[in-house]
Amino acid sequence: MTILKKTRFQEYADPSEIIRLINKLNTPSQSVRIMNVCGSHEHTICRNGIRSLLPKNIELIPGPGCPVCVTPEEDIINAVEISNRNGMVLATYGDMVRVPTQAGSIREKAKNLKIISSCHEALTTAKDKPVLFLSIGFETTAAPAASLFRMGPPSQFYFLSSHKLTKAAMKALCEDEEVGVDAFIAPGHVSTITGSREWEELSQNYGIPVVIAGFGAEDILSSIALILFMLKTHNPKTENVYKGVVKKEGNIRAQKLMKEVFDITDTRWRGLGTIENSGLELKDSLSPHNARSSFQWERIDDEDGLCRCKDVIMGKAYPHQCPLFKKACTPHTPKGACMVSREGACNIWFRFGRW
Amino acid sequence: MRISLFHGSGGKQTRKLIEEVFLKHFKQSGPLEDAAYLTVPSRQIAATTDSFVINPLFFPGGDIGKLSICGTVNDLVVSGAEPLYITAGFVIEEGFSIDNLNKIAQSMAEEAEKNRIKIVAGDTKVVERGKADGVYINTAGIGTVKRRFSVEDVHPGDAVIITGPIGEHGLCVLIEREQLEVESPVKSDCESLYPLISPLFEIPQVKWMRDPTRGGLATVCLELCEDTGLGMVLFEEKIPVREEVQFLCEMLGFDPLYLANEGRALIVASKEKADEVVELLRKHPSGKKAGVIGHITDEFRGVKLITEIKGERFLDYFEEDPLPRIC
Ligand code: SF4
Ligand code: SF4
Repeated sequence: MTILKKTRFQEYADPSEIIRLINKLNTPSQSVRIMNVCGSHEHTICRNGIRSLLPKNIELIPGPGCPVCVTPEEDIINAVEISNRNGMVLATYGDMVRVPTQAGSIREKAKNLKIISSCHEALTTAKDKPVLFLSIGFETTAAPAASLFRMGPPSQFYFLSSHKLTKAAMKALCEDEEVGVDAFIAPGHVSTITGSREWEELSQNYGIPVVIAGFGAEDILSSIALILFMLKTHNPKTENVYKGVVKKEGNIRAQKLMKEVFDITDTRWRGLGTIENSGLELKDSLSPHNARSSFQWERIDDEDGLCRCKDVIMGKAYPHQCPLFKKACTPHTPKGACMVSREGACNIWFRFGRW
Repeated sequence: MRISLFHGSGGKQTRKLIEEVFLKHFKQSGPLEDAAYLTVPSRQIAATTDSFVINPLFFPGGDIGKLSICGTVNDLVVSGAEPLYITAGFVIEEGFSIDNLNKIAQSMAEEAEKNRIKIVAGDTKVVERGKADGVYINTAGIGTVKRRFSVEDVHPGDAVIITGPIGEHGLCVLIEREQLEVESPVKSDCESLYPLISPLFEIPQVKWMRDPTRGGLATVCLELCEDTGLGMVLFEEKIPVREEVQFLCEMLGFDPLYLANEGRALIVASKEKADEVVELLRKHPSGKKAGVIGHITDEFRGVKLITEIKGERFLDYFEEDPLPRIC
């Protein structure tokens, strides 16, 4: 296993060497479903044609890897309604405004829209006008969003948290028989915040190997080899092949900041439904800034129609199995959330080939 | 000085504009006739036309004027013709700077002279402010046919050759348009292909060529496969892409395979002659990075890319233009 050690310590390993190792470790009769929960990982997999290099029994499944895709329609529609009704500017990220919902997209419906590229712009806008900030993202964006509240936001700054915690979704997927995940490739960026210890619970409680990987093709390949090795030796653990970047304890300052501002709460994911302890909500002490509790809120269920986003996010279908893929649904005319953002599985599959 | 609607009235002002801007640069004198009389040395003539609506009008490595000559010249060249004459029509927006118009006309003249072709007829129209974006140019060109290329000559086993690094024009225009701050500016590859390509007309084993403009290399390859009913294998590691282009593409989320080129050609030649063709191309300064990047096959249809780590993926058309107004 010297080559595994090599890649574990982030030394150069030739892709063809890793593939040989994968074939050696593989048990062809046993299906292995490895899920990634990060758009950038799926990007690397598609761009490099990694699936074509693997034995047939090994499946790489894109999971809920994009914060845009998992934001429920309810949050989007209410953000539009509340901001329109109260004469507020709706501030959010560019990809969010194009997500189709049963009540149209933000771009179509918001009367006063400010597209931002960093959360600080939302705060700056609130200096002169009332603002509703629809804030989305996993741990990576939750920490900077939390920092806004250290800057003393004006009273006309309203925050709608649609922040999600990656691990909670992974746990829900472990429990879903139909998905049948055998291992995870854990997201590199998220892990820099949470630390590698975040995922240990998964390998311990569900007996599932988890490997934290960087974003190169070699990183993905060596994670697969490592996963096969753990499966073969019946020794599921959380391993980190993104060593230089991800620490065991993560970014303590960011974690502290998030704890200061957010409480962990049950939240809804598009595709996955409500998951216990999977979201971040502003603490009660900040409730004057909380858009969800300060205004009238409507309960809305996701409506998927022909779109199979739900199954794509859950890893139950590949993008090309959706009847709309590349037909009615393109990045230009997205019919589902997964086609909107460049981290959405359908968008990535659209750009990287014919399937 | 700026363009006014009077400049397009067809009266004295129009005449003055034509004389002081276009005729000055295009070195034409004598009376303004309704048509140009041309002498052509052969009975086999190739004709083409193209319109240019690029935004921005000026970019590193060229401007709409140079582009309008190169674009039409290159269409003739990849059709096996030696370009001879060009016509130019201008649609100018009221308020456009005459200085800029001069610059554009000058670079057209320079490019035409380099290629030893004549700009023989022209037209100017002015439209109200807001009805056009600065200036649009239409050029038409004719040339004598030296070689006829046909997709029917393309066969399995043939080599696929590119004459230089890809993606530069598209990326350059994008950076200019979005005013992105980048450390090393990317220059457009906008250039006439005639000097580089014409020696290949003599080689019968050169079978087909096309300039991968809008839609980039990938689109041209897909179209060839569709027209021939054959397949193509491309090797990612052999496709020349400048380091800064690769880097910026990754940052900005573009794929150089789909970005426009304005000074490159994709060539299909028989396997036996491929090395000779590449050698010939490399003799020219614009062909230094030329190389074989793949081959034609009948094992499947479509374009298969072998990635750097030897993975495979099939390329597909981008239904939408990732970058409109690129040429
Ligand atoms: S934020 Fe980073 S880790 Fe998270 S999904 Fe996006 S690329 Fe992956
Ligand atoms: S292709 Fe479009 S409609 Fe189908 S699952 Fe993906 S995003 Fe939804």
